[in-house]
Amino acid sequence: MIRNHRREVVAAYLFILPFVLSYGVLFFWPTLQMIYLSFTDAPLIGPGQWIGLENYIEMFDDRRFWTAVRNTSYFVALTVIPNTLIGLAIAMMVSRLKGWQQSVILAMFFLPYILPVSVVYRIWNWMFNVQFGIMQYPLTWIFGEPTPVFRVQWMFMPTVAFVTIWWTCGFNILLFLAGLRSIPSDIYEAAALDNANRWTIFRRITWPLIWPVTALVLTIQLILQLKIFDQVYLFVQGGRPDPSMVMVQYIYNMAFQRNEGGYAAAIAVALFAIVIVFSVLQFQLLRSRGEK
Amino acid sequence: MSDIVLKEVSKSFGAVSVLDKVSMHISSGEFIVFLGPSGCGKSTLLRMIAGLEQVSGGEIHLGGQRVDQLPPNERGVAMVFQNYALYPHMTVRDNMSFGLQNVGTPKEEIKRRVEDAARMLEISQLLDRKPAQLSGGQRQRVAIGRAIVRDPKAFLLDEPLSNLDAGLRVRTRLELAQLHHRIKATMIFVTHDQTEAMTLATRIVVMNNKRVEQIGTPMEVYTRPATRFVAGFVGSPAMNFLPIASVSDSNGKASVGLPGQTIETAVPMAGLPKDKLTFGIRPEAVRIAAEGQGLKGEADVVERLGERTLVYTRLADGSTIIAEDKGISAVQPGDTVYLAIDGNAAMVFDEAGKAYHAAA
Repeated sequence: MIRNHRREVVAAYLFILPFVLSYGVLFFWPTLQMIYLSFTDAPLIGPGQWIGLENYIEMFDDRRFWTAVRNTSYFVALTVIPNTLIGLAIAMMVSRLKGWQQSVILAMFFLPYILPVSVVYRIWNWMFNVQFGIMQYPLTWIFGEPTPVFRVQWMFMPTVAFVTIWWTCGFNILLFLAGLRSIPSDIYEAAALDNANRWTIFRRITWPLIWPVTALVLTIQLILQLKIFDQVYLFVQGGRPDPSMVMVQYIYNMAFQRNEGGYAAAIAVALFAIVIVFSVLQFQLLRSRGEK
Repeated sequence: MSDIVLKEVSKSFGAVSVLDKVSMHISSGEFIVFLGPSGCGKSTLLRMIAGLEQVSGGEIHLGGQRVDQLPPNERGVAMVFQNYALYPHMTVRDNMSFGLQNVGTPKEEIKRRVEDAARMLEISQLLDRKPAQLSGGQRQRVAIGRAIVRDPKAFLLDEPLSNLDAGLRVRTRLELAQLHHRIKATMIFVTHDQTEAMTLATRIVVMNNKRVEQIGTPMEVYTRPATRFVAGFVGSPAMNFLPIASVSDSNGKASVGLPGQTIETAVPMAGLPKDKLTFGIRPEAVRIAAEGQGLKGEADVVERLGERTLVYTRLADGSTIIAEDKGISAVQPGDTVYLAIDGNAAMVFDEAGKAYHAAA
């Protein structure tokens, strides 16, 4: 059937217009504004003077900025790969279950993911409470005395990472499970006839075939964890925020507490650049590895 | 020696029985075809021999060793799957090497065996490609190649031709026959296509409804089917069946009364039940005769196949019988035709479906 070409083009533009408009107004324009802001000395609200690269120069000399970068990287290292591996391991176990058992177990693993961060904070703050938290039993057994994990500097990040993995793992399990289900069962049967043991089957069949999903999960995780803010912000309450400051927290701190909109924008641009460079780099790298 | 012996092998999934006490002896080097309609249990039986399904009862022996409790890899069989089950992320070479690598075969040996098999199957130029870059027929060859390199005691093929288009299917069928002739390995081939079974098998195992109906050479199964099911399932077009009104003794042979005619058959009277019998005759034993001779009917549909013509004839009582005429046939739909039935080629089935044949 031959359609009216001009009318089709008009219809096409009409259909994409809502998206283009909202993307432009809510993402593209603010991003440009943020970049512009980073070259000014603007406060949180209202315009500022153009000061060129001064914010960036200041940033590179800012000890607290580098602490935030270091803490964010540490948190990423503690969560991204462990979360992915744990997700894969649990998905492989869940995939061995059948029928309703699988649904129930999967639902149990997924349940934490639907909780808002404030609830997660409440749960784990109780669990780790020095006086009555259930986690104090193993902690006392290990360290000999009740331990306030959110007040001990070196324990803070690993504990927040642990809680984050508990909280977000369900979604990764779901992605991995979908990936595992897409591998036809006769391939495993062929492998069984081909004398492959379990480890060989995992290493040479499951792992390569699930690799695209793994690359996706790793990338999503990386972006998500680089933007860490809420958990650290909540768990640090009542303690000293500076040593465990992460990048988004520092941006918040600068913009909303110190009223330095321009400087906060410069840090935000830096984070934006890090996220883009790392995620694109990682995704490309992982994809090419998968195609080899 | 790689004889395969099945002793009263049964299989049920929960309360549903899919195979009931199947026994057979497959000699080394035979090309056995499991033939039957969908759901008759033939694929399940093959998968039990491979070790991919647990047996619910009975024993499986392979090369003198009882294997029904062994895992698939310890049985020394190779399987070609209906969907080929190639490893999609590996090259053809890796697909074929995988099984040998897993048992620690030296690299040079693997290389030699893979290349030999590839040459035999004419896929040498495809060794560095991945399955996605191959056509259906090429994938099929790789799947067979993967089985060959392992030098198994038996090849198990689960409807391997069903995903190929008609032309390729015929060619691959021929090549499989040649391959079997060359490597002389025991092969078990599952199909629901009776042409594949007839052309490939040294012996056919006809299965229906959880049981083995008959085991025999293609010609035995065709000319002396053990049951009415086998008679109807093997042969294209299918055998004609007509109800027998009466049966009488004619020099020890059965003379049967059909609607409109009495036919003298070569089936002995001895042991033949007296009633509820069915008359069976293959279309090639029903010829178009001169006017006024034989069974009268009306040509309903005329199928011209080139070298022969099939005439679907409606008889006076409304039943249809397929007759054969020469390639250039004068019969037109609607014509009145007369059918000459060769009583010597006829067989009789009792109520339970058991066949009675002329003395061998």
